[in-house]
Amino acid sequence: MQKYTLNVLMAACAVFLLVLAHFKIIDNYIQAVIMFVGINIIMSTSLNLVNGNMGEFTCGHAAFMCMGAYVTSLLSVLCFGKNFGDPLLPQYMAMFVFPIMILAGGVVAALTSLLVAIPAFKTRDDYLAIITIAVNYMVISAIENMDFVGGSRGFQGMKNTVWAMNDTIKGPWMLFWVITFTVFTIWVIRRFITSTYGKGVNAICQDEVAAEIMSVNTNKIKLVNFMISAGLAGCAGGLFAHIIGYVNPQSFNILKSTEAMVMVYLGGMGSLSGAVLSAIVFTFLMEVLRSQSLIDFLLAPATFVFPDWEPSAGVIKWVMIPLLLVLIMQFRPEGIMGNKELSDVFPKLKKYYTFK
Amino acid sequence: MSLMKIDGLTQRFGGLQAVSEFSVEMKGGELMGLIGPNGAGKTTIFNLISGFYQPTEGTITVGDTPTAGLKPHQVTSLGVARTFQNIRLWHDMTVLDNIRIAQHYRLGYNVMDSILRGKKYREREERILEIATELLEAMSLTEVAQECPKNLPYGLQRRVEIARAMSIRPKLLLLDEPAAGLNSSDVEDLIKLVRWIHENYDISIFMIEHQMKVVTSLCQWIKVIDFGSTIAEGTAEDIQSNPAVIKAYLGDDNI
Repeated sequence: MQKYTLNVLMAACAVFLLVLAHFKIIDNYIQAVIMFVGINIIMSTSLNLVNGNMGEFTCGHAAFMCMGAYVTSLLSVLCFGKNFGDPLLPQYMAMFVFPIMILAGGVVAALTSLLVAIPAFKTRDDYLAIITIAVNYMVISAIENMDFVGGSRGFQGMKNTVWAMNDTIKGPWMLFWVITFTVFTIWVIRRFITSTYGKGVNAICQDEVAAEIMSVNTNKIKLVNFMISAGLAGCAGGLFAHIIGYVNPQSFNILKSTEAMVMVYLGGMGSLSGAVLSAIVFTFLMEVLRSQSLIDFLLAPATFVFPDWEPSAGVIKWVMIPLLLVLIMQFRPEGIMGNKELSDVFPKLKKYYTFK
Repeated sequence: MSLMKIDGLTQRFGGLQAVSEFSVEMKGGELMGLIGPNGAGKTTIFNLISGFYQPTEGTITVGDTPTAGLKPHQVTSLGVARTFQNIRLWHDMTVLDNIRIAQHYRLGYNVMDSILRGKKYREREERILEIATELLEAMSLTEVAQECPKNLPYGLQRRVEIARAMSIRPKLLLLDEPAAGLNSSDVEDLIKLVRWIHENYDISIFMIEHQMKVVTSLCQWIKVIDFGSTIAEGTAEDIQSNPAVIKAYLGDDNI
């Protein structure tokens, strides 16, 4: 019984949000924020598989998001856009083909992750981190030099697919897909990581030599784990491209990877619920700190002392968030949740749901 | 067919000859000891058997499979389990999970099954849980099944590590200094445990040990190595009176 409560709760939340969005009770801005929360949840939970559960240190997660974004966008424009001539598919197909295109982006991203996974058989820690940064740059430079997807000017035309879905049946389609894929991600990761097969990942984190000796095929588990993680990031990329309607290689640079890492370390390494919570907190914080009036209010004492100083929210935000990270590392280095799940922190919740 | 046959095993690390011409044959069911002074190459031999190093020369055959070129997890799945000198449990997972993960090679399902959780997955997981529960009960660890090893006393951690190795259902169990760091009552328990395992399971045990009490009370046959070469072998009494062994341990003047 408790096994299903979380799923039921997630479904109820999803339906509630969709109904609100459909009847325009929440406006487009709030919808956009909710969609970015969803994307950030996918990014942080999928990165958490590698950085948290497996204990590797990868900092090129945005590369996989980039691959997913471009592959999905290309398919989407081919099928429903006008950049490369007439659309291949009729408009009413959009809503059925869209998830397939997102998943295709995920599959390609998963294949790209082999660039990281195979070196990871031999290297660990700092060395692997350097490899992942290199892969991030490789992917970005490769796409910048492909003229048929616009190179460094970026690529657009994906909105046609969203409009095609909207023309067939009116509704908040992107919100629907983002929520669906977020729930899908949490479902996949939760099941993978709680099976005996997936617990091999934690075993590798805690003692790789012992894992290998105790019959865990460490290379295979690493490969599978990297591929699941990158595949989900690829899905996030595809969704991101369709929300914005425009992709640019530079929006998937090392800063984007860092954002995902900040969320993982904020939430607690190896904690799925921590990664979800921190993605929510982080996205809302980013949005709240965009408000100039809030920044003016917070910095009123400083501007009183230095009347010539006019702090801009866009700059101060990038002081506040790293500062938050510094404070967290100082006072709670294990992150919000540590490596515990919600049900470990609040044992009373166990009556209502089990993590396994 | 013998259980394990090592023939002319030699391992060099650069100019250092860590193991030279080591040979042993285990037919099945014996309890063999491997002793020698520090740095004699005992753990290297274990690392060679379990596949961590590829031998410079010589062959290791488990059953009728040569282990040359196999990965450690493949050697383990042939039925060779081992423990470590310094306990290497997964300290942040429960004892039950430790035992379950060690059965990875016979999970028999893949990633898709673990996500979709069909009938095969449930059957396999149930079977694994059953084996783990049975083993924990047999090793009298049921009470600590939900504890993390890091919270357990050292002696109990040692027992958990042996239980984890046993969950592989090995034909050959390699124990690397199981009594290291244990107090005398824990050592008594360990001797009883090893003897119990040897009597109750169809298993051969090959152990490295420094404490003569453990070796003499358990091992039927002892091999002594020094600087990588075998200097003596025989029963406990033979070894204790062997001049070469005394020389290796205590030096020349004491003869």
